[in-house]
Amino acid sequence: MTLSRIRNFSIVAHIDHGKSTLADRLLALTGTMDAKKAVDQVLDSMDLERERGITIKAHTVRLLYQGRDGHEYTLNLIDTPGHVDFSYEVSRALAACEGAVLIIDAAQGIEAQTLANFYLASDANLTIVPVINKIDLPAADVEGTREAITATLDLDGSEALAISAKHGTGVPEVLEAIVTRIPAPAGDPDAPLKALVFDSFYDSYQGVVVYVRLTDGHVRSGTRILLMSNGRAYDVQQVGVFSPDMRPVEELSAGQVGYIIAGIKRVADAKVGETITEAARPTAAPFPGYRDAKPMVFAGLYPIEDTDYEALRDALEKLRLNDPAFTYEPETSLALGYGFRCGFLGLLHMEIVQERLEREFDLSLIITAPSVRYRIQTTAGEVLDIENPSKLPTPDRIAEMEEPYVTSSVFVPTEFMTVIYKLAQEKRGEHKALEYHGKRVHIRFDFPLAEIVVDFYDKLKSISKGYASFDYEFADFRASDLVKLDILLNGEPVDALSIIVHRDKAYEKGKALVEKLRAVIPRQLFEVAIQAAIGSRVIARETVKAMGKNVTAKCYGGDITRKRKLLERQKEGKRRMKQVGRVEVPQEAFLLVLKS
Amino acid sequence: MLADNPPASDSLGFYIHVPFCAQRCHYCSFNTAPLDATAMTRYLAAVGCELDLLGALAWAPRVRVETVFFGGGTPSLLDPAALAAILARLRRRFAVAPGAEITVEGNPESVTREKLHAYRAAGVNRLSLGVQSLDDAILRRLGRLHDGRGARRAFEAARDAGIANVSVDLMYGLPGLDPEGWSRTVDAVLDWQPDHLSAYGLTLDAGSLWGAAGVAGLPPEETVVAQYWRLARAAAERGFEHYEISNYARPGFRSRHNQIYWRAAEYLAAGPGACGFVGRVRYANVRATPRYAVTLEEGRLPLDTFEELTPRQRLAERLILGLRTADGVPAAWLGARLLCSGGPEPGSSRGWPAGGAAWLRDAEPLRRTIDAWRGERLLADAGDRVRLTEAGFLVSDALFVELL
Repeated sequence: MTLSRIRNFSIVAHIDHGKSTLADRLLALTGTMDAKKAVDQVLDSMDLERERGITIKAHTVRLLYQGRDGHEYTLNLIDTPGHVDFSYEVSRALAACEGAVLIIDAAQGIEAQTLANFYLASDANLTIVPVINKIDLPAADVEGTREAITATLDLDGSEALAISAKHGTGVPEVLEAIVTRIPAPAGDPDAPLKALVFDSFYDSYQGVVVYVRLTDGHVRSGTRILLMSNGRAYDVQQVGVFSPDMRPVEELSAGQVGYIIAGIKRVADAKVGETITEAARPTAAPFPGYRDAKPMVFAGLYPIEDTDYEALRDALEKLRLNDPAFTYEPETSLALGYGFRCGFLGLLHMEIVQERLEREFDLSLIITAPSVRYRIQTTAGEVLDIENPSKLPTPDRIAEMEEPYVTSSVFVPTEFMTVIYKLAQEKRGEHKALEYHGKRVHIRFDFPLAEIVVDFYDKLKSISKGYASFDYEFADFRASDLVKLDILLNGEPVDALSIIVHRDKAYEKGKALVEKLRAVIPRQLFEVAIQAAIGSRVIARETVKAMGKNVTAKCYGGDITRKRKLLERQKEGKRRMKQVGRVEVPQEAFLLVLKS
Repeated sequence: MLADNPPASDSLGFYIHVPFCAQRCHYCSFNTAPLDATAMTRYLAAVGCELDLLGALAWAPRVRVETVFFGGGTPSLLDPAALAAILARLRRRFAVAPGAEITVEGNPESVTREKLHAYRAAGVNRLSLGVQSLDDAILRRLGRLHDGRGARRAFEAARDAGIANVSVDLMYGLPGLDPEGWSRTVDAVLDWQPDHLSAYGLTLDAGSLWGAAGVAGLPPEETVVAQYWRLARAAAERGFEHYEISNYARPGFRSRHNQIYWRAAEYLAAGPGACGFVGRVRYANVRATPRYAVTLEEGRLPLDTFEELTPRQRLAERLILGLRTADGVPAAWLGARLLCSGGPEPGSSRGWPAGGAAWLRDAEPLRRTIDAWRGERLLADAGDRVRLTEAGFLVSDALFVELL
């Protein structure tokens, strides 16, 4: 296949601007598969992805398109994850392309992730095809969107294609633009093999299936390949393409996209961003920009039943096979017993892992309040990274504490500026820049990561009636005046409920927290005192009164079954309680901690 | 289904449901039907057929009926002749023990001395009178059709009719019921010298008007708890034993029928929505009265649901029901329950093997709970039995959940 007949592209968009719908149309138009099946099976294949309407893992599909010039083209659509937690994965998927279709909603206009995706695509030197979608909506403003594209994105808005992916209007022009505007891949098929890993998954029969984009050389069954970041060598067993199911081919060569199976045992051994070359004739330079995906958010995972500990460990090991960005190591908690401290890219990633553990492995879990990683300079001159608040040294041993900061972009209509600034102030945001784009503003803030990790995005959405959009990336560690806030139940500190907070917010936080805990801790046989304390100083207290009455007065007419069923339902609720000392604490109490 | 499932014991209770009410009370979620003559006629014929069909079961001849309980609905709406006909049909099909306890539930406005006399002549020897309150304002709020004086008259009518065993039903925790009002009702009713008292704390059941629409003026929990203790103390002073969570009796006047339930013993049932327990099977009849009648007119037993209990469920039920009573349960039963902790529940999809050690460790939380209940004096040992204390009765569901 000549390189001139190949196009490698991605579709990028702000959430809900119509990426899946357009992908779906492209598949249908090229006869790759029927639309319904495409959506169900290909693009959002995990249940969770479909339920949440977001793409978590990259996918790739090969489309065969008959161009208007009469030639048949191979279009490799590399679908990218659609959430800020996964921006590294997006950047690697884009690095495998020559071009990107950037979708902008004709009614919503440019949003934070439109901009973030635009920058990512520009950084990867991609040719960008702007597409204005949803022109069928009554609120669609095609001309305004064209102007915004010209003004904000440094693209020619007049060249943007106006389409309705939902109705199929203008979609054939998108295919044609992919062929005419996006360059064919360049590369030397005779040079040493150089392939970029942009995704992988674990298959229990074949081992790791690695998604690759070749820039130089070729690879076929029997080629001995070398993974450049870790120096491991493997013999290729199979190469193939996605159309959309995996289909083996003789050879993959420069410019092509496909998969390699080479007896790799763990996804962690062929990470996203990795360069694959020939063992016998390695390429001179690996792809730049490779990095280990680093977890940013940490939380303890504990089985509700102690006896599930080993089952949890096995389940974590299985998840990790497919998800190297997720880390775990054993830890113990006085309150919760044996569990694991797990690291996640962000809160969404954390929720996905938790849901998969509960659904796919049928485990009942306690997840503790998520924490970021703090950097501590001790008076003895050590530097400690602390991601579990209960591990924080005593104040007399701390010389300085630093916390991670992010740089962020908020895009919002001007009328919401005041509320956004107010929220940013509550969240210890530092204003960095403000740019006007017509009726919208682009505000840059630096935030402590801990402040935006839990509910910032939800709050932002709600105060801006859904109009604000948000994107962020890690910046650096900065010194902060932080303290550890402990929660005590009947005088006993519960290590799993400790959090690290800014000193100025400790009182307010402690008060809110004990109030929330009072609302969720059910009444027990005895009174439960809930206290918040900094060191030995109690700053807030609430009481859960002892249970007064909990009785079914009448088992009417011998209907014992009804009574038993009622009790069984209550028992189901109790499965989610953890015994901490003598007190039964519901699962959600541990997550409330940061949400207060 | 009943044919292949003979009762383990030869002595059974018999529950007969009479669904009709002149008006549904606002707190009531029981199976009731509006009273009309045609429906009543059809119902009576259907109950007769049902007794015939039950009596024709292969194992019926060896059964001895020790108690009969007419529950409702409002059984006292039955014409004495109709009640006598049901009892006669029952005696024709089953051996009813000579000293059997035969109870009828009645509402004050639908009993008269004459009617009760006729009931007694038919064999009824116990009346359970639905008084609920003596406060006329509260009775109206409940949707009851009698007033306090009517309740008193009904009680006296029962005595005049020669019914030697009369129970009074009361309710507390009612909207608008303050501690003084409750004290007045309790003291007045105790002055009547009933033989038995049932006192139910109000629960808002999903199927009731109040459960669906809500109700204003519910007293705070402390008041409800105080009302419970007020009755417990007053009843004890008058020589009543608090022999079940909601029941008090003068010595020798415990409800024999209800004790069958609390001992997880067996009973048959007739009437729409009635529940029975024979062998290992708990079953319930079709609830809707018209469909109940149609099924019997077609010559079939009107079974709706049935469930065969697992050994573990049977043990849990024995504990939960037994602990409702002052007699409690043998301590050995709790020991047995601790031994069957751990391991996957039947029907669990979890594939992890429960090793021996895990199995034992899993009993620990329940053991700790039981110790905590003893420590709080909610659970007490009495010889080789264990029982809930009167304080324990009040929070009993919290323990029962653990014992499932």
